[in-house]
Amino acid sequence: MGRRLLITVLQMLITVFVASLVLFALIRLAPGDPAKLLIGRTMEIAWDAAAYETTLNELREEMGLNGSVFSQYVSWIGSLLQLDLGTSFYTDRSVAAEIGERLPSTLLLAGTALIIQTVIGLLVGILSAVHSGTWFDTVVRLLCVGLASVPGFVIGLVLLLVLAVQMGVYEISSQAALSRLWLPALTMGLLGAPQVVRVVRANLLSELGQVYIQSALSRGLGSTRAVWHAMRNVLLPTITLMGLSFTSYISGAVVIESVFAWPGLGEYALNGILHKDYPALQGYALVMVLSVVVIHLMVEALYVWLDPRMMRRKKEAAHE
Amino acid sequence: MNRKKIIWPMLVLLILILAGCSGNQPVTEGSESAAPTNEPTSQTDSKAPEELIIADQEIAAALDPVQPLTSSYLVAIGAGETLFKADAEGKIQPILADSAEAVDAATWEIRLKPNAQFWSGKKLDAEAVVASLERSRELDKQIMPYIQDLTFSAIDESTLQVKTARANMDVPLNLSSYQTLIHNAEASYDSVEHMDLTGMYAVTAFEPQKRMELAINENYWGPKPTIARVVHEQISDEQTRMLSVLSGNSHIAQKMPVSAISQLQAEEAVTLSTTPASNTQTVYLNLNRLKFQDVKVRQALAWSVNREELIVQAAEGQSFPVTTWLSSNPAFAEARNAVYTRYDLDRAGQLLDEAGWVLDGSGVRMKDGEPLSIKLMTWGGDRALGETLQYQWTQLGIQAEVQHGDYSLIETARESGEWDAFIEAWSTFGEPFTLLSGQYAPTGGGNYGGFDDAKTNELLQQLSEASDEASRHALALEVNAHVAEQAPVISLYPRSQITAISRNLEGFVDHFRPFENLVNENLKFVSP
Amino acid sequence: MNSRRASYTLGFGVALLALLAGSVLAASWLSPNDPLAMNVGARLQQPSMEHWLGTDRFGRDILTRTLHGGQTTLISCGLALLSAVLIGLLLGALAGMFHGSLFDIALMRIIDVLLAFPFMVFAMVIAALFGTSLFHLLLAVVVVWWVGFARLTRSLVLQAKNSTTVDAARVLGTSKSVILFRELLPQAFGPVLVLATFELGNLILAIAALSFLGLGSQPPSPEWGSMLADGRAHFMTSPHVLLGPALWIILTVLAFNCIGEGLRDRIDPYEKARIG
Repeated sequence: MGRRLLITVLQMLITVFVASLVLFALIRLAPGDPAKLLIGRTMEIAWDAAAYETTLNELREEMGLNGSVFSQYVSWIGSLLQLDLGTSFYTDRSVAAEIGERLPSTLLLAGTALIIQTVIGLLVGILSAVHSGTWFDTVVRLLCVGLASVPGFVIGLVLLLVLAVQMGVYEISSQAALSRLWLPALTMGLLGAPQVVRVVRANLLSELGQVYIQSALSRGLGSTRAVWHAMRNVLLPTITLMGLSFTSYISGAVVIESVFAWPGLGEYALNGILHKDYPALQGYALVMVLSVVVIHLMVEALYVWLDPRMMRRKKEAAHE
Repeated sequence: MNRKKIIWPMLVLLILILAGCSGNQPVTEGSESAAPTNEPTSQTDSKAPEELIIADQEIAAALDPVQPLTSSYLVAIGAGETLFKADAEGKIQPILADSAEAVDAATWEIRLKPNAQFWSGKKLDAEAVVASLERSRELDKQIMPYIQDLTFSAIDESTLQVKTARANMDVPLNLSSYQTLIHNAEASYDSVEHMDLTGMYAVTAFEPQKRMELAINENYWGPKPTIARVVHEQISDEQTRMLSVLSGNSHIAQKMPVSAISQLQAEEAVTLSTTPASNTQTVYLNLNRLKFQDVKVRQALAWSVNREELIVQAAEGQSFPVTTWLSSNPAFAEARNAVYTRYDLDRAGQLLDEAGWVLDGSGVRMKDGEPLSIKLMTWGGDRALGETLQYQWTQLGIQAEVQHGDYSLIETARESGEWDAFIEAWSTFGEPFTLLSGQYAPTGGGNYGGFDDAKTNELLQQLSEASDEASRHALALEVNAHVAEQAPVISLYPRSQITAISRNLEGFVDHFRPFENLVNENLKFVSP
Repeated sequence: MNSRRASYTLGFGVALLALLAGSVLAASWLSPNDPLAMNVGARLQQPSMEHWLGTDRFGRDILTRTLHGGQTTLISCGLALLSAVLIGLLLGALAGMFHGSLFDIALMRIIDVLLAFPFMVFAMVIAALFGTSLFHLLLAVVVVWWVGFARLTRSLVLQAKNSTTVDAARVLGTSKSVILFRELLPQAFGPVLVLATFELGNLILAIAALSFLGLGSQPPSPEWGSMLADGRAHFMTSPHVLLGPALWIILTVLAFNCIGEGLRDRIDPYEKARIG
């Protein structure tokens, strides 16, 4: 066990290291000069070209952009080892503090949406598997297809129009307050539910078709209990999916966050991209890689906890 | 199968999902019925609120006025002030300054308001102003164009002396830009408590890029405002901002989408301020390209632009045509229709014929076996503008292409020289010489196309030497018209900034610089 | 579910897809309007007899643009999805086949990184290095989109590896590649197909989401994703601008979904394979 743990941790570290290298390079490959963006673009008065060049060079020096990409990377890793994520180009604040401010609201939204999505997905998925081939199943499929093909902003804005403007039961502000959580969480949950429905329905149907369930049914096992038994095996792929959804939610549901003015990490990353804020983007990407690796581990642990016997057989699937 | 047990949660879920799904159809009724159903919210506001909430695309990211754009937000929200300010007509008025006087061609003396003081109660003396401007010069990367030719010194406690490197500079105009915000240089600006500015509102709480709260500054030197508190809130999505003002959650919503105009006009609860800003949407042409070195080709492009149609298609009618660059500045409004007095496709075609670009059988203009093509780059909200221009130039037989993307793509193309044309909108408010030389002198930072014209350079030289206001004005107009004829750039129209204001708020002033003139002391709530 | 139902589903899907493809291919024949012609006088008109789905902000007929745009969207998204599925199937199957090998471990770690990284940065890098056309956007999409298919394939292959048929084949000395292509891949195919049909919708929407960065089809040529993105500005006042592309996307996804489900039931009529 200790050896396994060591190997896992080692793998994690290598992943994060390689990822950080790739991220660092890619962020710098993207077009645009952060120094130029800081000096300002249009809507202002044009500079004298010579004065502009001087200021630009000073600024680039100050921002540490004049060295080679490799030396920039080394100095970034250096400060990283002292647990320093650097200072944002745009706001001049500590990246760690900025991410720290936004991470809780992102986690809150992601967690709630995940619960809503899973509850709806499980219920509807089970029902449509049990009633497969009925009108209910067909309606669910149509709804799933609909939800999977309508842009998130349409649903978000319509909900805001109805609930905030017409009924006045929802407040539009930039605060990540609990009273403002339900609407973005519900929207995200609804948009994410179809994939859970799909997974639960398909796996449950497949389990219900298995020989052992069929024989149990023929021996007189109640159908509710049969579903219950089959669910044990459906849970594993569902957990896999939850892990995936959670990853994509915390990396930032940009559309939902922006429509509901929810101050999360998606907006942070987007601003980082638009302002070419290298330290912010690097910090964000690093935190994301770490989270993905940790979520991955948690999913694995959950598998073991749910079914220790399955550990050996299902360990592979747990990697998902 | 135990169906009854299963049916009820199924129904609940169905309703839930349907509620979410119904996004598809009922929108039509929704948006149309939005106006009448809005009454309940305005009624809850009838008890005049004490807090003014302003929803903006972006708010300050830091408290220190030398950080990028922070000073602009601090001025807009009434927290910070400059020595001078442009009024709604574009005239420069003293704010923290009491008066300004040009002692000689290169020296100004500025007297400060005798009672002006910072939030902390510290007196605003000449030393403090010099310290503030020098701090900004050192730390604010965007202030250079405004003060690079100025040297500041304190003559006595209330008099500031400004020496200029060039003769006849308009110092008050330069000191009206938000970058020159006067702040206490001894304060540290690392927290709300450590800020020290002069404005009528003082910051009480701050969450970067989220929310800034302000309350009346009890030490304010001028007439105090009536609204007790102001909240500046960042809501980056434009449609959400619109919904926030419609729902009554905010009272002023900045930077409304032009596409929302028709809906907002129909609303009972809001009024609109749609003053075109003093900047010009301009197509910059790359004069290093052989085809654009021919002035006739450039003129043809300018004549074949139907500005009225552009304004309808790309700006929902919320602007006016501008045929010369400087004329979006209120002071040069007389030149709005100069040179390209009308949309003239025939004349454009004739010019291209003369230049050797003749129509072939398929309706494309060819010369030496090459089609006349132009690739126009756009960014931000200008996609529709690019698309309409593309359509208009196509009518002339030009192979027009639009590439819409992030600003960085334009920047990259500019560095490599691999571009035909792109759209930008620089400010046209400022000293004419600074503005025009920034755009058209060979060393100008905004002279992207490499325009280098002997007559323009000579006129600019005369402009920099002109000693009286009238001749400067006349020369600026002459440069402006001459450049329009040479057409290194094509001026289209000023960008409009649209602000939605709740009807229960009174005293909002339309201003051509709405991004720095949001709050004034006369704002007050009224019951509708 | 019996196989008759499965063939109904399949038949319905194929018919719907044929109808959609037909409408899109015959666009210029079906609609008399020019998809590019602007008309200032006819901006943002509600659906009428003349313009069945109304007009957009430039006064262009939305139905015409939807039909013409379908050619671009369907072909390019179909190709991108196909490449992503093929890459995913191949890499996922290999990883499952050689589970625990260095290749498997490396692949899983690469997948982790791809999942964590902001997709927009990829897209920007590709745009900067190569260009901003729809082709380049889809290139960026494929670079990350195969991940989901690879994970799914891998887990299915792992499960199938333990089945009795594979054990029997192994005992009989069948070569690994034969096992992979004869036994393992076919089992993965069904669920992957179903996943792919759902992903088609996401793919088209992703194009819409990225067009503000300027990636994707450039004006004036119509494309569903960019029509959705452009329509957003006018959606609150003239919701009909989204109707055309949204409807066609929904129908396309539905058609593909039915085909996927029907095919899966045909390939694998006895035991419906797991999806995870």
